[in-house]
Amino acid sequence: MNIIVCMKQVIDLEQIRIKPNTREPVTKGLPLLFGDFEKCALEEAVRIQEKHGGKVTALAVGSPKLKDTIKEALAIGADEAIILTDPMFNDSDAMGSARVIAKAIHKIGEYDLILLGDSSADEYSGEIPPRIAELLDLPQVGFARELEILEGNDQGTNTKTIRAVRDLEDALEVVELDLPAVVGVTSELNTPRLAPLSAILKAGRKPLNEWGPEDIGITADEVGANASVVEVLSNLAPVQDRKEIIYEDVEEGVAEVVKALLQEGVLTQ
Amino acid sequence: MEKVEFVVVGAGLSGLATALVLAEAGAEVLVVERGDYPGSKNVTGGRLYLGPVRSYLPDLWEEAPLERRVVKERLTMMAPGSSITAELSSERFRNPPFPSYTLLHATFDRWFADQASARGAMVISGYKVDDVLQKDGKVIGIVSSGDEIHADAVVAADGALSFMAEKTGLLKPRAAKNYAVAAKEIIELPPHVIEDRFGVENDEGTAQLFFGSLTAGIHGGGFLYTNQASLSLGLVLAIQDLMDKSGPNLSNEESAFSPHNLLEAFKDRSEIRPLIADGHSVEYSAHIIPEGGFRALPRLFTDGMLIVGDAAGFTLNLGVTVRGMDLALVSGVLAARALLRARERADFSSASLSYYETLIKESFIWEDLKTFQHMPDFLSNPRIYERYPSMACDLLEQILWVGEGTKEKLSTTILRTVRQNLFRISVLRDLFTMRKI
Repeated sequence: MNIIVCMKQVIDLEQIRIKPNTREPVTKGLPLLFGDFEKCALEEAVRIQEKHGGKVTALAVGSPKLKDTIKEALAIGADEAIILTDPMFNDSDAMGSARVIAKAIHKIGEYDLILLGDSSADEYSGEIPPRIAELLDLPQVGFARELEILEGNDQGTNTKTIRAVRDLEDALEVVELDLPAVVGVTSELNTPRLAPLSAILKAGRKPLNEWGPEDIGITADEVGANASVVEVLSNLAPVQDRKEIIYEDVEEGVAEVVKALLQEGVLTQ
Repeated sequence: MEKVEFVVVGAGLSGLATALVLAEAGAEVLVVERGDYPGSKNVTGGRLYLGPVRSYLPDLWEEAPLERRVVKERLTMMAPGSSITAELSSERFRNPPFPSYTLLHATFDRWFADQASARGAMVISGYKVDDVLQKDGKVIGIVSSGDEIHADAVVAADGALSFMAEKTGLLKPRAAKNYAVAAKEIIELPPHVIEDRFGVENDEGTAQLFFGSLTAGIHGGGFLYTNQASLSLGLVLAIQDLMDKSGPNLSNEESAFSPHNLLEAFKDRSEIRPLIADGHSVEYSAHIIPEGGFRALPRLFTDGMLIVGDAAGFTLNLGVTVRGMDLALVSGVLAARALLRARERADFSSASLSYYETLIKESFIWEDLKTFQHMPDFLSNPRIYERYPSMACDLLEQILWVGEGTKEKLSTTILRTVRQNLFRISVLRDLFTMRKI
């Protein structure tokens, strides 16, 4: 089983502040790390590898900071990492990013499974899994909260399929796909492990490859700001309506708060 | 088991300086930081004196994310309802090389860690070092969550309450009198508002220290630094005094002496209120500061280990200037130099590492700490915080007050104040101790 895990480094969402007067998020200078979704995807890849053997490759597109960030992926268990940090890829829309990822996967060549977060923690557009599946002409499934590799035998040849339980909020759907396939996962999938310190040291000795546009055969008209067809019109925090009611008397306050919560439907009697 | 040449515990200024110099010389160095990021567990009042640091760490400061260069120094003496501020505005401070800058750890430490990483150091955050690995009395590595990392030498840069200095027996039992607690708020304001309120130009800033009634008789003081788009405002309070006044629970909300309540009262002073008006408080932090000075210094080295920065107690509080970050940086550089020499000789024994102490003793760190060794005693005198500021403020108030009726001769006012306040044995004693500082 050769698994490619696509990982995106995102700003640490816990550190984002909202400017009180303009409602703009302050994102400048914040640290970059992998989001929960990609960590779950990687954890699952490592678990599948532990059971079925093979190789796990972490693949990431982003800023040069990836050279540091990616070490976490190698420490958790990826055998090799490929990062694409060329400035040409900056400010791509989802289509541009999907092209870069798909071309890199195509270059890697041998794979049975592509795992990635269903959406990224920062933009949450959820476009990348279906887009790369389309570009690579592979079957894909999203919202996977449980995965199982099924090894079978069809007229003398070994076959591999993957069974995914999809989370559809009000229902669970069980789907089986032939491999290779693209699977977008949710954070219910597993609890990612913490790499011990020594694993991070070892990670520094694992292969880390940097590929540029010429390595994957992509040109400036396919990727980056120029190729982007998405325009961001606004990125503001929602207006918060604080009632600012202060009760001096505790007894009265508790009664009033309970009444208000009942009215708002937060509590039911 | 993994092995590296050097492990530095703590990604603050001293640890990162050590790592940066080691990595630059080609040594393999791992920095382990327990916070989520370098700087996330770190607190500074806010000012770095670059003067003492430049010769040790040249070529680093051009790109550094420093906030504002300090061109105006203010010193405020506070009585309960009045205060006197002395302000120094000097052309010397306005011309390069600038002596000091305000800074914020959250941005500065991350940048500094990047500098160390760029030179080859491995800076790993989010891992707590639980133990110092020792064998036959020699430090041979660290333990983090049961994971052992061995090293030729370990650097304890683990801050004011260094557990490593304790574990290795380099530090005598801690005494509350050698520590202070600081509480600080970062209050955001637009840069132009800061420049208007403090009368400075672009990239220029002020540093203001306060002493007197704001600490309610507790040995300590206040500080106010201007950053690019925020103010750093806080209090430093001697822990022993706090314990004497309010008992062992320093965070007791009811106590008028809790750091939080004293800071709130400070913010509400008419001297401070207009400076922070309309600002958004975006961060609240507290930290321990070693204030024991020269006489509280631990032994700086043992077999396989050195102590740097706050962990070694390298801070210098003169009441009018408070320093720590410059000492931290320079002690880190000197530790790295001693380690590189030990590396050349492949000898990390106590005898070999004692070179670190030699380097410290030849530097301003040792000299300055020694020169001002009586400062902690002098500053622990409650009269500095209560009687003298009140006397000075009252006197000036009487001199400057013009009300109904007649005004007495200035000499009468002055002599009466002097007679009432200064004709005392305690004053003579205070004058006598002043001689030592």
